[in-house]
Parts: sequence; structure tokens; C-alpha cells
Amino acid sequence: MDNWVIALIKVVFIWTWTLLIATLMTWVERRGSAMMQDRLGPNRAGPFGLFQPLADGIKLFTKEDIIPEKAHKILFSLGPILFALPAFSAYAVIPFGDKLIVNGKEIILQVADVNVGFLYVVALGAMAVYGIVLGGWGSNNKYSILGGLRSTAQLISYEVPFGLSLLAVVLVYGTFSLREISLVQQGTFLGFLPNWGIFKQPLGFILFIVTAYAEANRVPFDLPEAESEIVAGYHTEYGSMRLGLYLFGEYVNMYTLAALMVTLYFGAWHLPYIDMSKFLGPVSYGIASFLVFFLKTAFFLWLFVWVRWTVPRFRYDQVMGLGWKALIPLALVNLFITALCIQLTV
Amino acid sequence: MDIYFIIFAIMALGGALFTITAKDALPSALGLLTVFIALSALYLHLHAPLIAIFQVTIYAGAILVLVVFVIMLLMTPDEKLEAAQKNMAYRIMGAVLGAYLTALTVVGVKGISELISANELPEGFGHPGLLGDLFFKKYLLHFEMASVLLLVALIAGIYLAKKRI
Repeated sequence: MDNWVIALIKVVFIWTWTLLIATLMTWVERRGSAMMQDRLGPNRAGPFGLFQPLADGIKLFTKEDIIPEKAHKILFSLGPILFALPAFSAYAVIPFGDKLIVNGKEIILQVADVNVGFLYVVALGAMAVYGIVLGGWGSNNKYSILGGLRSTAQLISYEVPFGLSLLAVVLVYGTFSLREISLVQQGTFLGFLPNWGIFKQPLGFILFIVTAYAEANRVPFDLPEAESEIVAGYHTEYGSMRLGLYLFGEYVNMYTLAALMVTLYFGAWHLPYIDMSKFLGPVSYGIASFLVFFLKTAFFLWLFVWVRWTVPRFRYDQVMGLGWKALIPLALVNLFITALCIQLTV
Repeated sequence: MDIYFIIFAIMALGGALFTITAKDALPSALGLLTVFIALSALYLHLHAPLIAIFQVTIYAGAILVLVVFVIMLLMTPDEKLEAAQKNMAYRIMGAVLGAYLTALTVVGVKGISELISANELPEGFGHPGLLGDLFFKKYLLHFEMASVLLLVALIAGIYLAKKRI
């Protein structure tokens, strides 16, 4: 019974937390872009415009919900839901801290530590494309279909290097469980570097971050919604909260991917050279590990925004060429070198 | 018979039926997606989480996406899938193959049901490590043969796609 309550609290917590972060990210994105373009951005609602996401939410909720006459009704309304659902469920297997000990009971800061955790994230990431495809096809609009088409092609091309770079991580750590991977990143590597995944998989991390941007449909890979070519791509016909779900799902995806990067390559909740569990109490250690993990994730979330407003969008053939001619061979080479190193050292 | 199995079996069969009867191409593909997801849930129920995840990642996440890509490339939303195959020879061939497949399934299922004896699972059943062990030790020959088959298909694909090599 007790375990059920704890599990429920964890699920509710991570849902609210993810929602909060995604909401905040819309504000960060707008203020960040304004900062980079030397303007102010939304600064009217609340301090620093912090209530802007709230105002946006109210606006989207109260807008008239329009379904185009020629659209395929069921597919059209199913699209945003199918896009947002996998995004919201993907975080379940990623840790958000080490552990919290309350009344002698150990609470692991992760919703579910399953031994195929890793693949679960990959599988759900691939599911998001159906939301885009349904929206594009159901809208019965040329631009929407082009957006959906681009999304499928992009997913097929980038899923392979994404999976291969993750596979190299599995080779290094010998487990699929994200918690176990986080736990072994304590201490130092080669005597002076923090024992983080990035130092064991430098090429793997570059491949992962590039493909992650493609998976999240972010600039420079936001071809499914390239507004200079195909209006708004798959969500051209969408309005009100249906559009809101698409936009929101994107931020939730970003959060999941950023957390995955931290877990795999940046030592999860470990600080470099310092073992927090040695001099912090059980409760404060739990909170500290959560905060460290979140701060690292926040940096990668900011990186998403940073890149978006710095780098121009690739041309479509460049995206495909990069995926097939550069990333896949590199990912294979990386996998081969990793396997060789492990074979020689173990 | 447990309720979990019945729910997902019905879901899989319903999805399959919808796939072959749907008049629109994309909803038909979504029917197939339902089948894959229901099968994945059944694998999970059989304590095979790795296979369940692969079912979603590879079938739903890669193969079906390719199918959807082709549908979106070649068709428009207004296009309807017209009546079944007119060619009589194809239809007979389909019937023969279908009957063969059904017979094969029946024989296979009967064989499995004779094999099943205990309800207890061995230690670490369904764990990725154990599966890898089986693949690279006990069933190495089968595994290598499957990869050779895939290689042949790959080379054939390149040959067909390129006019001159």
C-alpha cells in the first residue's frame, strides 16, 4: 500500500514538474530569442513577463475550436493527442535525482527503473511521428502533407544514428537501466576527469545531440514546420488548444531529451570530484541530487533555445545527406571503436 | 484465459481486420499500428519486455513509418482504396498461401502448447543479457544465418535500385 502511494506521488510529481518546465520553456524561448535579437520580448504579464505562458494558455483554451470542412475529422482531432501522449509518458524511465530517505524508507527518484528503460524512450520517441503524420494527412492541405512527409523521412534517417549512438553507450556500461548507468558515473576517469559518459563517448555525444535535435524537430532540423517554405507544415490548419498540444509536446520532448543527455553523458546527479552523499544528510542529499540534475538539464534546455536562434535551417537535401552520408557511417565507426576498446580493456 | 490477454488479443484482431477492410490508406496503416501495439502489450504480459520494446521500436517505429512515408508520397487524402484484386490467379494464390500460413500457425501453436509445462519462469527470464547469451552461444548458427539472409536482401535491394554498379 505504502509503495503504491509513493509511486503515485512520483508520477503526479513528474507530470506536474514536466508541465511546469514545458510551460516555463515557452517563456524562456521567447525571452531568449528577444535577448539574442536585441529586443525585449514579452515583459508585460507579471514580473519579467513570467505569467506570459499562463496568458497564452488561457488564450489557446478559450479560442474557437475549428476543424476545416474538408479535413478528415477523426484523424484531425487524433493527431495532437497522439503527439502529446508519448511525449508525456517518455519521462517515466528517466531518473530525476538519486534517492531520498524518509523515515528509514528509501525512495528512488525515478518513476520506474525497468531494465529496458533506454529502449522505452527510443520507442516512444518514434511514436511521436504518428501525431505529426495524422495531423498532416487529416488536415487535407498540401503544406500539411508535405510537413508530415518530411517528418517521416527525417525520422527514418535519424532514428538509425540515434539508436547506434545509444547502443555505444550500452556497450560502455553494459546495462539498459538508466539508473544503473547514472550510478556508475561517480568518481573520476583516468585519474583527473569526472567519470562522465562524455569522456568515454565524445563522438557518441555529438552524434546523439545532433540526432536528438532532429528527433525533437528543432532548428536546424525543423523541416516539418519550415515556415519559410511550407507555411507551418503539419500544423498549418490547427488552432486553439490543438495547436497548443503540438507546441507543448515539442517542449516536453525537449525536456526528456535534455534529461537523457544528462543521464547518459553528463554524470546524471553527480558533481565532478565531489561526492555529495558523504557530507549531506539523507533528505538534503536527495534534494541536492535533484537540483544538480535539474541544473544540468536546464543548461541543455537552454542550448536548444540557443541553437534555435543562432543556426539557420538546413535545406531538405542537406538534412537527408547529413543523416545518411555522415551520421550513420560515423555512428557505425563509433560503435566499432567502442566495441574494440572494450574488447581490448576487459 | 485471463482478461489481459483477451483484451489485447481482441484489439490485435480488430486492428488487423480494420487494416484489410479500411478504404483510406492512412487509417489502414494506423490499424496496423494498433496491431503492433497490442502485440507488444501481449509480449509484455508474457514477461518478454525486450521483445515488446523491439516490437514497438522496429515495427511501429521504423517499418510502419516507411509504409506511411510511401503512402504520403504516392497518395492524396481524397484517394480511396478501390475494390480487391481483380486478377483471379492472384486471388487463388492468396487463398493457398493464406491456408498454408493458417496450417503452419496451428501446427506451431500445438507444438508450443505441448512444450509448456511449468508456470514458473527461470531466473532473469526476458532480461536483455540472457537473450544475448542465447543468441551468441546456443543459437549462433541461426543468428548468423538470419544476418546472411538480411545481407543478401540488402545487396539485392541496392542492385535493384541502381541500374549500373
